[in-house]
Amino acid sequence: MDVIHVPRPPRKAINLDRQANALIMAQVSHLQHAERRLPLKYRTEIYTHAIQTEGEAAEYIREVTEAVHKAHADAAKRRSRRGLEIAAAAEPQKRKRAVKSKKKSSRTSKRKVVRNAKTTKKSQR
Amino acid sequence: MPPGLDQLKHIVVLMMENRSFDHMLGSLSAVDPRIDGITTQLSNPDTTGAQIKPQPLANFQGQLNPDPDHHFPAVDLQIFGGDTSAGRAANMQGFVKSYFNQRRDVKHSQMIMYYFPQEKLPVLTKLALEFAVFNRWFASIPGPTICNRAFAHYGTSFGRVDMNPFDVMEPFKSIYSRLLKANHTAKIYYYDTTSSTMEVVNLLQNQPQLFGTYKQFKSDCDKGLLPEYSFIEPNYNDHDTDSGEEVANDQHPDHDVQAGEFLIAEVYMHIRRNKKLWPNTALLVLYDEHGGIYDHVTPPACTADKFSAPANSTGTGMEFKFDRLGVRVPAILISAWIPPNTVVDRVFDHASIPATVNKFFIGDDPQRSPRELNADVFIEPNAGTLDAKRNLLSLATMRDDCPVFDI
Repeated sequence: MDVIHVPRPPRKAINLDRQANALIMAQVSHLQHAERRLPLKYRTEIYTHAIQTEGEAAEYIREVTEAVHKAHADAAKRRSRRGLEIAAAAEPQKRKRAVKSKKKSSRTSKRKVVRNAKTTKKSQR
Repeated sequence: MPPGLDQLKHIVVLMMENRSFDHMLGSLSAVDPRIDGITTQLSNPDTTGAQIKPQPLANFQGQLNPDPDHHFPAVDLQIFGGDTSAGRAANMQGFVKSYFNQRRDVKHSQMIMYYFPQEKLPVLTKLALEFAVFNRWFASIPGPTICNRAFAHYGTSFGRVDMNPFDVMEPFKSIYSRLLKANHTAKIYYYDTTSSTMEVVNLLQNQPQLFGTYKQFKSDCDKGLLPEYSFIEPNYNDHDTDSGEEVANDQHPDHDVQAGEFLIAEVYMHIRRNKKLWPNTALLVLYDEHGGIYDHVTPPACTADKFSAPANSTGTGMEFKFDRLGVRVPAILISAWIPPNTVVDRVFDHASIPATVNKFFIGDDPQRSPRELNADVFIEPNAGTLDAKRNLLSLATMRDDCPVFDI
């Protein structure tokens, strides 16, 4: 079977200084919408009104996209840590109950021993 | 059931940017007259009144600058030729006039009629001839990218015809949410975080776990982790990375068209080379809208959506009820079970994507937009009675002659 050659684009096809097209600028505005809802520590220091080129837009797009992912990942980590803390907080209560019931059962078994001892002594008479 | 449908496990969609059917595949009418492409009778008037014919002079880059206007009012001009009267008829005569408005250069405005000769697009044209090409796949609305892509994700654009953020409204959920709720798998693969996604405000912001990168797509294919439904977004911008420069490959003017050819070939070959994936995967390659570039086929009317765009939001002074489709775009369905030279004449638009995926993996569900409920499907559901005439994955045995590209 013939293998069909696919020409690669020339090096000059790339132009980071190309004026950003309307689609890219719309994407920037959507990401700005998302950035405004992020807590301050995740926000960029990029002034979107000054973005003119594809390269400038690309930088902003990357930062906000990664920030959204990070914010969600951090929230998921906090959620699982809270889950562990709740589980850990429940542990001492469990241990206390376990110790209590152990003491209870050891007193019960001591009574049994004493009772048995008394019974044995009785039978031995 | 035919083995192609029985074995189908994965549907992959690659949606490119802003090129019309005639511009990319119009040359193929000379190869196969069933393909509704360029003929000698076609023309558009320029601003001097001269009739400008389509010519096979499209270049990969550098001609369509500025980016041809494809917002709602401009597309209205392109479709209706400037007629704004009540009861007007579409004539597809306004493309050159529309492009003239941007640079006021008569000669330059004629370039909107240029198309690619077959040999310049070896990947897209080969795939169109070897698999199933759709003669009548239209953009969902006669307008720009964001709302057209919304139809692919939600089956509606929630009444929007512009590029502004929109709110998703109940009960219409994304196809991804529906699949996950029904215990199926789905992913959107954007090219990388610097290209990101066009579905930011709803999906990225609220469900970032839906997203992976193109690199991950390739890895998922190799490791047998490809989800049941995948949507791939191309690289929307030129940018630097740690491993070098990445060229935009979405084919949006004025990005290099060859870069997009390479991407299409790479996605195809990654599936084609995988002996486990190739028999059970269908790949749909299509474009979101025509980008303001000439096409000769009048978009048809369609079922109105639940939403409408009021007159003061369309830019034309007229209300839009989402009851007619946008301009025609290239669309090709690829599978080892599709006979070569398949030409499909049924009408589709991007609502057909969630309609198809929903019906195939989940079944019928009334909680979908009117546009999606009435959209045709490009893959028949693998249950119930099959209409053999509609099934594109019709071969009894898998092909062993599918094209190979040097990727």
